[in-house]
Amino acid sequence: MGYTLAEKLLASHTNDGKATAGDIVEANVDLLMVHEVLGSRILGVLEEMEFQKVWDPERIVVVNDHWAPASDINSAEIHRRNRNFVKDQGITHFCDVDCGISHHVLPEKGLIVPGEIVIGSDSHSTTYGAFNAFSTGLAATDSALILATGSCWFRVPESIKIEVTGEFQDMVMSKDLILKIISDLGPDGANYQSMEFHGDTIDTMKVGERMTICNMSVEAGAKCSPMTVNGHVNKWMETLAPSKKWKPTLPDNDAEYIDSRTYDIKNEPLGPMVAIPDNPTNGKAVREVSGVPIDQAFIGSCTNGRIGDLEIAAKILKGKKIREGVRLIVTPASKHTWMMALERGLLKIFMDAGGIVTNSTCGACVGGHLGVLGAGEVCISSTNRNFKGRMGHQNSRIYLASPATVAASALKGAITDPRSV
Amino acid sequence: MTKELKPVTGRAWVFGNDVDTDQIIQGQYLTLLDYAEMAKHTFEIPRPVFTSKVKKNDIVIAGRNFGGGSSREEAPKVILQSGIRCVVAESFARIFYRNGFNVGLPLLIIPNVAKLVSDGETVTVDICEGTLSVRSSGDVLHGKSLPTRMLNLLKEGGAVAWYKQSVGKH
Repeated sequence: MGYTLAEKLLASHTNDGKATAGDIVEANVDLLMVHEVLGSRILGVLEEMEFQKVWDPERIVVVNDHWAPASDINSAEIHRRNRNFVKDQGITHFCDVDCGISHHVLPEKGLIVPGEIVIGSDSHSTTYGAFNAFSTGLAATDSALILATGSCWFRVPESIKIEVTGEFQDMVMSKDLILKIISDLGPDGANYQSMEFHGDTIDTMKVGERMTICNMSVEAGAKCSPMTVNGHVNKWMETLAPSKKWKPTLPDNDAEYIDSRTYDIKNEPLGPMVAIPDNPTNGKAVREVSGVPIDQAFIGSCTNGRIGDLEIAAKILKGKKIREGVRLIVTPASKHTWMMALERGLLKIFMDAGGIVTNSTCGACVGGHLGVLGAGEVCISSTNRNFKGRMGHQNSRIYLASPATVAASALKGAITDPRSV
Repeated sequence: MTKELKPVTGRAWVFGNDVDTDQIIQGQYLTLLDYAEMAKHTFEIPRPVFTSKVKKNDIVIAGRNFGGGSSREEAPKVILQSGIRCVVAESFARIFYRNGFNVGLPLLIIPNVAKLVSDGETVTVDICEGTLSVRSSGDVLHGKSLPTRMLNLLKEGGAVAWYKQSVGKH
């Protein structure tokens, strides 16, 4: 019997080279990303552990991204602690408040390598599956243990094979696809499991679009969501990580899956999707909710703040004005993305349309700053979560959609099918 | 030092399905550096009275997928800080499950528990046996016994104590 991607990626990091679904294994971690949780929680755990030195200062990335730049005195203190830790421990990779959102910045810096195990102190660390890595999110205590030891225990997940074939229609994005998939699975449909993606749609998909899919697999409870390497990933690695040595990992043909699902978007075309409050798996076809009035339209986050996302939004907004009384907030995923958007004239398009362009941060998505919602407000957002109170007041309401749908909705002041503008 | 895991008796706070981490502790409180301060906002959205009424040894009961969403360890921490001694649910989200045991909060899985226990009822949970008994009816609900690894983590008093006992020695 063969092995799945998750099994193979984990097995290559255990001492005996074995990992079968259901086993508990101890695996060596290649890279650990920690963000503000370092300063707020992990340092306290490390102190309790009587910790001295990190296991490998070159395999740790510290990022100040959630409240960047500091939104209040507490976040400023957390950032200060992180900077001191980086200095004291001689951490090689530090992304301070000017860099951007971890899940975009790490790949952009060439730190995500196919075949590796990447752990982040953030649930959206599943994003790196787009690079054929085993990646998952853990919290403060597990991160502290990895910081000290470089290894971690994992229950090897069972895998769900998801095969997608066909091309996207105009104005339909990978966000629509993942909203559809997780809505079919439900909020715990992939709990403890690996969502392994295949099919020609995934094989030809650009890196950023793949990252959106892997990013949101966690909303169905997935532990990880590895993909195989495609041409775009190859090119990304050649350009951004030319010195890294790696080999692609493939699942065996006779690998065992606990479930398999197919999406044929050629014969059963996929349209724009919107997840209604208060769960990302509440996906509906846009026509079912079109016309719902909005107060804010947000484009950004580790899910959909990349250059491709900004380009499609700019294409829709170019030369037009957003509806009076609506706020459009655009938060590029990283400084690099911001600069590209500047050079390509996208930021001007957003500003001319009546929008606001912020620095790169997780800010609005976590209800932190730069786009927090007030009581009763409605937001259409390209982010990943619409839990009650996620972006601000507990009585605000969040509809999740693609950047195209968010941009079209900003123009009309109500949820709008991007194919209609 | 291994701890004895005695049965706990307390009042049940019953929640529904898919209680996500923002319902346990909202993102706006994550920059608070003191857990005692943060715990004042536990379950603020779904049960605004929780923090003023909760008593030591109370027990949280929930439906499916308790603790989904963010990886925030603050979620089990504030529950523990509030005096809750264990959470019994029909299922737990992955990261929350791991975090609970890491910080020393016992988590037990019992099918249909949220439908079989009423809010405010006095119940006794035996983590080692994997049972919950309802005082008024005398009913005993049986859950999954804990994986050895998780039981050992609890007996050691959480992951840090476990680390100091095992890894730290070498």
